[in-house]
Amino acid sequence: MRNLLSATLALGLASTPVAAAELTVITAGDQNMVDYINEYLGPLFEEQNPGHTVRAVGTGPGDAGSQKIVERFEAQKQAGSETWDTDVAVAHEKFIGPMIEGGYLAAYRDNIATGKLVTRANADMALGARVSGYVMPMFNSQTALAYNPALVPTPPKSYAELAAWVTENPKQFGYNGIKGGASGVSFVMGWIYAFGEGDADKLMNGPFEEAETQKWDAAFDSLKAFTRNATLTPGNAGTLDLLSRGEIAIGPVWVDMFYSWQANGQLPPEFKLVLPAPGMPGQPMHYVIPEKAANKELAEKFVALATSPKVQAEGIVKRFNWYPGIDAQHVQAELDADTWNKLFTDVTPEDLASYGKPFPIAPYNTAILEAYEAKAAN
Amino acid sequence: MQRRLPALLLVLPALTVILFLFVLPLALSVAGAFETETGFGLDNFVKSFALYSSDMIFTLMIVGLSTCMIGLVSIAIGGYLTLGENPRAVAILRWLYRWPLFIPFIVVGQVLRTFLAKNGLMNNILVGAGLITPLQAISFLDWRGIVIAFVWKQTPFVTLLLAGAMASVDRGTIEAARNLGASRARILVEILVPQVARTLMVGLVLSFVTMMSVLSVPLMINAQSPTMLTADIAFRINAYGDYGVANALGLISLAATACVAWFYLRQSMRDRG
Repeated sequence: MRNLLSATLALGLASTPVAAAELTVITAGDQNMVDYINEYLGPLFEEQNPGHTVRAVGTGPGDAGSQKIVERFEAQKQAGSETWDTDVAVAHEKFIGPMIEGGYLAAYRDNIATGKLVTRANADMALGARVSGYVMPMFNSQTALAYNPALVPTPPKSYAELAAWVTENPKQFGYNGIKGGASGVSFVMGWIYAFGEGDADKLMNGPFEEAETQKWDAAFDSLKAFTRNATLTPGNAGTLDLLSRGEIAIGPVWVDMFYSWQANGQLPPEFKLVLPAPGMPGQPMHYVIPEKAANKELAEKFVALATSPKVQAEGIVKRFNWYPGIDAQHVQAELDADTWNKLFTDVTPEDLASYGKPFPIAPYNTAILEAYEAKAAN
Repeated sequence: MQRRLPALLLVLPALTVILFLFVLPLALSVAGAFETETGFGLDNFVKSFALYSSDMIFTLMIVGLSTCMIGLVSIAIGGYLTLGENPRAVAILRWLYRWPLFIPFIVVGQVLRTFLAKNGLMNNILVGAGLITPLQAISFLDWRGIVIAFVWKQTPFVTLLLAGAMASVDRGTIEAARNLGASRARILVEILVPQVARTLMVGLVLSFVTMMSVLSVPLMINAQSPTMLTADIAFRINAYGDYGVANALGLISLAATACVAWFYLRQSMRDRG
């Protein structure tokens, strides 16, 4: 059924004429991703490359958005299209492995100058799949616990402290489960890192062993009891909504969303973040270029611009509050101390280094989500 | 034969559209529900029931409860529109009740999300009016929120059908009952409703089917556990790319709506026969 649907989709796509110098960038993620390209990166690229235009297409938030990109590539591959309708795609790391496996992507990192500015491990391995050469990280994002200092003067510093705090303060902690966005997913993954009986490093680095998935029963039992004392929120933004209205006192959020909401005045300025031990996951978004992109050279130019220290400083850090995708020292040089420090006020670089974890590799990721549905949510 | 050919040609475009855009995808999704990694089997259904049986019950309860409430409210509104004696009140009600018809489900979800929250508009008004204290305020963003959204959105649709049917009921029967001293409530229950029962049924069956398929409202108001099957279907596809279980869940909700449709068909056949 998928094949047929994909084929139909591809047929429709293939018949659309490709304009010569229109660079099509499709991006997963919330509206801020599309805004970033439309308002900042696109105009900048058009200015530097007169005559060419950038068209940004959003495929929707969360894993669903990246899943759509994978299916779009799959459809064009199966339809045997010679040139694809996408020049650059931005996707979550979980989906890069399948894209490389399917043979959809071009290895371009060595072709561009900024390729050398990335040495972080998650640009070579994405949830257990080797991706070096195929991706350039657009930014790194991190989840953390946001809290209201008026209600929580001394925030819990670890998952164990949080679990104890929640029994004393029922319904004051809120998260969005696993069906309403990745901040809740991230919280659940962190819970398994903290309380699962297996080896958390194995979950992050592999290899996948079926036996490992049997070691989480106690952790899910305690999570079920924990969730009974928690408030379930409708989505990533839902958690922030409830925080701002004072309905909950603490909850897991994406750091960049937290800072953006604060900058817009949607969250009180005194709210703070804490990254609990033993750590919560974060993830990069990656730029990829399809093997059959119509404007491959232009696409490489686009990614090179997007990952240049100046753009990473001005666009990624200053305007959108993300952590840089390329190595931090190259970006720090481009920024004034205030902007740089703002990004690290609550969550220090040391915290990030010790408690900023990757998500589990894809098969464990799926196994944990299913186990949550079967054991903690049912 | 010669007369039939042009007729066939005329319906052919419509028939093709239905075949390719409706029957074929439906057949594929039914087949997909039985497709597993090891060939055809019931694995997807086993998994669906293991993970989502509470959601299935939850979905049926919510939609069932909403359907009943929609029925009651629309009878009340339709009844007042037909039997009401204050022409100004009738005119205002007639003008007001249709509004939610033009508001999409997603907007209803968005509006209620801020309206029904613990410190949302509704509770703020109640606290401001001194009716409850801030500590008594509770959030309605759970199954109650979904029911409120469904009832609010679907009642006008059923009322629209029902009020039309009530208006076309022979006024003589109503006048006769009134002459014999029947109260308005009694006229509504014993004279009006029995005569429009079939229209009411059509409206409720259509509402049931619509509500079974709404994704935006549960996503906006309560995507947690338990939640409605539509949210689970979306989650299976988005998080796992698992079309098998999603199709199986789809087939299960199709079975639920088919039951209602069958009940309705049987009823209308009996009425005719």
